[in-house]
Amino acid sequence: MLAMGEVGGPHIKAGGAPVEIRGLSKQFGSVRAVDSVSINVAAGEFIALLGPSGSGKSTVLMSIAGFELPNSGQILIGGRDCTRLPPHKRNIGMVFQHYTLFPHLSVLDNVAFPLKMRGIAKDERRRRAARALEVVRLGGYGERMPKQLSGGQQQRVALARAIVYEPQLLLMDEPLSALDKNLREEMQLEIKRLHSELGITIIFVTHDQSEALTMADRVAILQSGRVAQISGARDLYERPTSLFAAGFIGEMNMIEASWNGTEVTFAKNFSMALPSSAVIDDVAAGPVMLTVRPERVEVMPEGTPGTASARVDDVVYAGAGTLVIASMACGGTIRARKGSADLSAIREGDRVGIRFPADAVLIYPRQA
Amino acid sequence: MNGRTLILNAYVYAVLVFILVPILIILPMAFSETEYLVFPPKGFTFDWFGRFFSDRLWMQALQFSFQIAVATAIASTVIGTMASYALVRGAGALGSLFQALLIGPIVVPHVALAVALYLFFERVGLSGTLAGYIIAHTVLALPFVVFTVSAALLSVDPALEDAAMSCGATRFQAFRLVTLPLILPNVVSAALFGFIISFDEPVVTFFLAGIRDKTLPRMMFDDIEQNLTPIIPAIAVLLTGISVLILIGAAALRKAAENRTMPRFDEMK
Repeated sequence: MLAMGEVGGPHIKAGGAPVEIRGLSKQFGSVRAVDSVSINVAAGEFIALLGPSGSGKSTVLMSIAGFELPNSGQILIGGRDCTRLPPHKRNIGMVFQHYTLFPHLSVLDNVAFPLKMRGIAKDERRRRAARALEVVRLGGYGERMPKQLSGGQQQRVALARAIVYEPQLLLMDEPLSALDKNLREEMQLEIKRLHSELGITIIFVTHDQSEALTMADRVAILQSGRVAQISGARDLYERPTSLFAAGFIGEMNMIEASWNGTEVTFAKNFSMALPSSAVIDDVAAGPVMLTVRPERVEVMPEGTPGTASARVDDVVYAGAGTLVIASMACGGTIRARKGSADLSAIREGDRVGIRFPADAVLIYPRQA
Repeated sequence: MNGRTLILNAYVYAVLVFILVPILIILPMAFSETEYLVFPPKGFTFDWFGRFFSDRLWMQALQFSFQIAVATAIASTVIGTMASYALVRGAGALGSLFQALLIGPIVVPHVALAVALYLFFERVGLSGTLAGYIIAHTVLALPFVVFTVSAALLSVDPALEDAAMSCGATRFQAFRLVTLPLILPNVVSAALFGFIISFDEPVVTFFLAGIRDKTLPRMMFDDIEQNLTPIIPAIAVLLTGISVLILIGAAALRKAAENRTMPRFDEMK
C-alpha cells in the first residue's frame, strides 16, 4: 500500500499520507451536521464515506479539504494539524461532483493550473501536465477545451488535475454520480488502478453502496452526523454492527422475534438456537430484531422438519436470480433471493417451508 | 387572438415612435446651414461639427466630461464588481439590505439625489470638484454595474473557485484567474455603462457644477439658454452615435459571455 507507484511509461510518484480525524463536530444553525466523528485513515488507504444525504459525509470531506471550519475537533494530515489551515495550503488533491474544469482554459492549462499556483516554470508545467494526462489515458487531448470532451473525459481531466502535483491525499466528492452507469464502472476501475499505482491516500464520498463496497479498503457508514460503522466491505455486509448499518447496506430481512439467551422465537412459536456469534452487542433477553440476508434464506417444501411455514405472495424472475416474496404465519414478509436454476417450480399461492442457517442470522436490540 | 396580437404590435410600435421621433427630429437639424435651430433644416453642412471641435470652451467641457466618465467607469466597475461578488457569493442576513441600498439610486428621483448630494458636498467641500463629480456619478452608475455583473456571476459555478483553491490558489487568485476571466465580458460591458451614465448625466451635474469647470451636458444647457445654434444637435448626433456604439459593444460582449460560461450540468444531458 505504501509503495511508491511505479507506472509503466509515464509515471507520477505520490505515496500517501495518513489522515486522523479526531472528534470532529460541525453545527449548522441548530442542526448538528457532524457529531464527534473520529476516523483514522492509514497512509495509502482507500476509504469511502457512505451515507444517505444529510448524514454529514460531505461536511466531513469539506472539513478535510478546508472549505468548512469545524466547531470542534482536529484534522491531522500526515501528522500535521490542518484544522484551521486555508484550503490552498493543505496540498490536497480534490475531485468534485461536477467536473469543475475551468471552462476558459485548455485541458492542458487546466491540469497545469496547480503547478502554476506552485510557481513551477512553464516548460516543466507543460511536461508534467502532459504526463498526468497520460496517466488518466488522455494523452494528446491537451489542446482541447473542456467543453469538447465527454463527461467521463472531463472527470478524467479533473482527476489528472488533482494528482498532477503529487499530493499525498486525494479527496473525491461523489465524483462519479454525474456519469451514466457504464462510464461509472469504467471510472471506478480507473480510480482503483490509480490508487494502486500511486499509493495515494483516498477519501471518497458516495451515497452508492455498491461503489463504496467495490472500491474502498474500508467503508465508514455515516448516520445523522455520526459514524455508524467503519470496517471492510465483507464485515460491513456480513456483520453489520447496528440495525441501521444492517438495513442500509444491501437488502435485509428484518423479523420481529424474541430472544431468551440461547434461542430465538418468531413466526408463532417457531424457535431456533443461535450461536453466540449471532448476537451483536450483548442483547438482553426479550424482544429483538432478527436479520437475515435474502440470499441466505432457504425455501423448502412445506412441512420439511425445522422450517417455518409461509405462503408465497410473489415470484419475480430476473434471469440469473429469482426473488421469492412470502408471508409467514406471524404476518411478517420474507424475501428470498435464489439462483433461478436452483429453484424448483414455485408459484404464487404455494405454501413453502422457510429456514435460515444459524450462521446467517444476526439479532439486534429492537429499538433504533 | 390574431386581433389582439395586432393591437399589441401597434401599441408597441406607437410607443417606439413616440420615443424615437424627438431624436429623429433633432438629428437632421445638426446639418442645417442656418445660424439658429430650425426644422426642417435648410441646406446641408458639417460646419457645426467643425465649430464644436475648434472651440476651446467646448473642448474643455468635453475633456472634463471625459475625465469624469472614465474615472466613474473604473470606480463603479471596481466597487460594483466587488459588491456583486459579496451579494452573489457571500450574502448573509444583511444581503438584501445591502442590495436595496446599492439599487437605490435607480428608484430615488435624480433630483432628490442631486439636492442631497449638493447639500452634503457643499458642507464637505466637494462641490464643483472633479472628485465630487466622480463620487456622484459612481453612485448613479453602481446599480447598472451590479445588475450586469451579478447576472454573470450567477451563471458561474461557485465550485470552480473551490476547485481552484484546492489546486493551491488563494481566494483572490481563484477570483482573478477563474471567475474574473469568465465574467470579464460583463465587467467590461458594465464599465461602458458606467461611462455612458456619467458622460451625459445632466441633473446631478447641474446641481454640482461650479463656474469654471463645466461638463458637456452643463455647457450644452448654458448654450441653449444663450444661443440655440445647431451646434447643440451636432453634439447630440455625436453623443447618440457614441452611445449606440457602446451599447452595441456591450451587447456583443454579453453575447460572448453567454457562449463562454460553462453550461450547467443539468443542461448538458
